[in-house]
Amino acid sequence: MGLLSILRKLKSTPDQEVRILLLGLDNGGKTTLLKQLASEDISHITPTQGFNIKSVQSQGFKLNVWDIGGQRKIRPYWRNYFENTDVLIYVIDSADRKRFEETGQELAELLDEEKLSGVPVLVFANKQDLLTAAPASEIAEGLNLHTIRDRAWQIQSCSALTGEGVQDGMNWVCKSVNAKKK
Amino acid sequence: MRFLKDSGSLCLLEVMFGSIWGCFYASFLRYWLKWFIRQVTGRCELQRICADCKSGAPRTTKAEYSLKNSKSSVLRAAVDVEEDHLDQCLDVIIREKHIKSQKDPTFRSNLKVCLLQITGYTNLFASTEALRKENFDSERDEHEEMLLKLWDLLMPDTKLESRVTKQWGDIGFQGDDPKTDFRGMGMLGLTNLVFFSEHYTQEARQVLSHANHPKLGYSYAIVGINLTEMAYSLMKGGALKPHFYNTVSGRPQLLHFHQLYCYLAYHFDKFWVEEKPASIMEFNHYREKFHDKIKIQLLDPAVSLILTEESKKQPTK
Repeated sequence: MGLLSILRKLKSTPDQEVRILLLGLDNGGKTTLLKQLASEDISHITPTQGFNIKSVQSQGFKLNVWDIGGQRKIRPYWRNYFENTDVLIYVIDSADRKRFEETGQELAELLDEEKLSGVPVLVFANKQDLLTAAPASEIAEGLNLHTIRDRAWQIQSCSALTGEGVQDGMNWVCKSVNAKKK
Repeated sequence: MRFLKDSGSLCLLEVMFGSIWGCFYASFLRYWLKWFIRQVTGRCELQRICADCKSGAPRTTKAEYSLKNSKSSVLRAAVDVEEDHLDQCLDVIIREKHIKSQKDPTFRSNLKVCLLQITGYTNLFASTEALRKENFDSERDEHEEMLLKLWDLLMPDTKLESRVTKQWGDIGFQGDDPKTDFRGMGMLGLTNLVFFSEHYTQEARQVLSHANHPKLGYSYAIVGINLTEMAYSLMKGGALKPHFYNTVSGRPQLLHFHQLYCYLAYHFDKFWVEEKPASIMEFNHYREKFHDKIKIQLLDPAVSLILTEESKKQPTK
């Protein structure tokens, strides 16, 4: 067998593609999380106008992560990206208590979307590196996550800045994709 | 098929030959070629560059290359010399290269301009980096004043109802309080926005009116901060060297960086309006297209990204 045919054989079993949607209010840390996942520089991130997309290899999956801007003006466009989503990741700024209500409403609306029905949701309680950050348990309670019955869900505290907790969250993502496909 | 294979290996050969030639030239041939020309013309490479190349990027870029690749450590160190030691450094170069000032009276002043531009670029990057790292801080009066000034310059007929208000959305910030939008660009982002509104008020308001278009619109301030990132990255990678070498005949200052931002802000808007994107969600695609356009412009040795009088005269809506 020549080198070329080995390469071809490798190519014929590509990683399973997974579509991940990254949503949340502006300044939640979605782009920082995306760049952290792709091991890119996170020191000069600017607010997202439109969206960013990156592909990351993880545990035999090719994760196509869509990071959509969170400002109010472009939230109506979120629905354009719902189709064929495998996992929804919802990012919350745990230190921005003033906007817990707003972020809760947005999440509740997402969970009511028909196109996202049954899609597993991971909530990242981000910015845990800040002293004023609320613990994940408090956020879970505030968002009434325990009442979710129609899908798998998980809340994970993390800091996209330091990377802490991010991998744990992604492990859950891969596990829930596996569970769903079986 | 066979032909393709042959042309493929031919290509490979060419690349190999190219890189071998490159190595050979840089490490061996260049030195002897320089020595030979020096014997014939009686002038060293730096003298020839300073006398024969047009001032600005054509001259300074070549001088920078020549200095950085010199065999002499004194010449190599010249590209990092501090302003206080510049004259001393020029004396050392003249001595080292046995240059007779009477025979080549313009050499010293020409090389001085080159060195001011080369070291000035490095210093300018340090200044932009320092301003970028300065976070917007609501506790600091000067930061708050600058933010309010931005509003007054862009919206002279509308009063800001309070410091935290939805009105910030009218000039393209994301939420009720702009402070979080500066993020990775820090005070560099705000300073650029204020500079554009202050020095090119008509243009800035014209751009804002386009940005607020119901269909073709975008978020003025957010896009502005994004363009600051573009300017910063171009600066960091050295791509702006020819622009500054052509437009500032000495040390470039922060003001020149802000002016470059103004060029980007004005021309990005023009580009966006011409391209008519389907929606704001297309932003990153058109940003990249615009970025490529600017990078191509920067490859031209005569590049000068200055907002011209012509664009100043264009009627505002």
